[in-house]
Amino acid sequence: MPKVFYTQPDGRQDVIEAAAGDSVMQTAVRNGVSGIVGQCGGSLSCATCHVFLAEENADDFAPVGDDEDEMLDCAATERQDNSRLSCQLILREGHEVHVTIPETQL
Amino acid sequence: MTTHIEFPFAPRPPAEAVEHLRRLMADRPMTKVTMPYGGDVWIVHRNRAARQILSDRRFVREPFRTGEREVPFFVPFPDFLRTTLQFEDPPQHTRLRRLVQKAISPRRVRDMRDSAVAFAGELIDGMIARGGVRNLVAEYAVPLPIEMLSSLLGVPSSDREKFERWSSSTLSVAGKSEQEIAADMGELAAYMTGLIAKRRAEPRDDLLSSLAHAHERDETLTDAEILPIAFLLIVGGFDNTANFLTTGVLSLLRSDEQRELFLTDPDGLAPTAAEEVLRHGNFMMGGPVGGGGGLVPFVATEDVVIDGQLIAAGEAVSLDPGAANHDPDVVPDPGRFDITRTDNPHLMLSYGMHHCLGAPLARMELQVGLAEIFKRLPQLRLAGEPVVRHDVLTQPMTDLPVTW
Repeated sequence: MPKVFYTQPDGRQDVIEAAAGDSVMQTAVRNGVSGIVGQCGGSLSCATCHVFLAEENADDFAPVGDDEDEMLDCAATERQDNSRLSCQLILREGHEVHVTIPETQL
Repeated sequence: MTTHIEFPFAPRPPAEAVEHLRRLMADRPMTKVTMPYGGDVWIVHRNRAARQILSDRRFVREPFRTGEREVPFFVPFPDFLRTTLQFEDPPQHTRLRRLVQKAISPRRVRDMRDSAVAFAGELIDGMIARGGVRNLVAEYAVPLPIEMLSSLLGVPSSDREKFERWSSSTLSVAGKSEQEIAADMGELAAYMTGLIAKRRAEPRDDLLSSLAHAHERDETLTDAEILPIAFLLIVGGFDNTANFLTTGVLSLLRSDEQRELFLTDPDGLAPTAAEEVLRHGNFMMGGPVGGGGGLVPFVATEDVVIDGQLIAAGEAVSLDPGAANHDPDVVPDPGRFDITRTDNPHLMLSYGMHHCLGAPLARMELQVGLAEIFKRLPQLRLAGEPVVRHDVLTQPMTDLPVTW
């Protein structure tokens, strides 16, 4: 079972057991993790599921696509090199993923 | 033996409406309702079921767009709305939507916040200078979103009165003849077409300019596609936001406890207060609350089972935000107006690919609008009862008399 570690801006952490095939965004929204809005439901049109992906997980996912790249420029919190939209991070069996949630999504 | 939980239901005191919704959602996820226009539609009450539908692409709007099918709604659905982005499906929707969303992104809106604060301040200065009893709707809640939308779109805010007229005309459900509406729509179309041509010739840093120049990157974006987007933004862009802001101020004026709390830190509490106003503001107006309507419907392209209920291919389905925003499975103590709620999965701005295009802007304006008025006028109070207009689709408040 994949596991996601969500770190809030204040350092508080939520650890959620996820389902393979779900995204890091879906997992957060379904489990009431604060700070990930995901208003467009994963259709790459809102930029409100922005996360910073831990370096050790950088190669676990497909690289940033053109549409994701464009939307990351629209995020409320300034993007960094490890910025991702969590709707694009699809979990696989056995995955352990660490993400940090930005100060604001809106 | 269970009793049937009535839906739609007649207006009743807010606490009773919340209790009725609780029993309704415990009983079933959705109800099939025959609308006054367009026939039957499943109205989905439970929050999770609603979200599931909103993110399932087997539910589409094509049959409404093509006119193959009438939109099931409580009034004849305004024709012009059927030509907008709301009624497109992927892939056309994806392309248009992303183009516009970049211009109304969280980032762009963040950069507009300072000017919103400054403009709200000017409006409050005006109210203070005039003194006495002021109409919060006309003097604050309407001009603020119009100014923001004008600067985002790139239309002169001096044309504000025209926008108000065009908007109330397009959303009109009574009191205007078809000829009058057609004349107003024609005027709006001519105005926007002229402005698009101007921006094409002399681009500025605004949304109309970027839409007007989008064809350089994407051959297929035509004036016929740009125009409905601009319409949608003008019409949806200030009428709804103005109403949210008025509702927000009134909600806080109706709850001494929550207003006192808000006054301790208006800027800090504005983000959660804004979400709570969106979720529960309609239950804070002081009058009874009924249940019935839903958001713009979809049609199922195949048989789909949602939360145990079969929605058959070809059936229409719509969301009931009034219920979904009070679903005890996702909102603890849903009848309580609590401006400190941090997880607030309301559906007032919908969800999924058709979620409110102006959501980031609406939220920012609501946050700024609430914080600024209560920072400057902490003694703000009601000086009469609100006046609601029932002859337009969105039933806006037209007068909220306040003093301080």
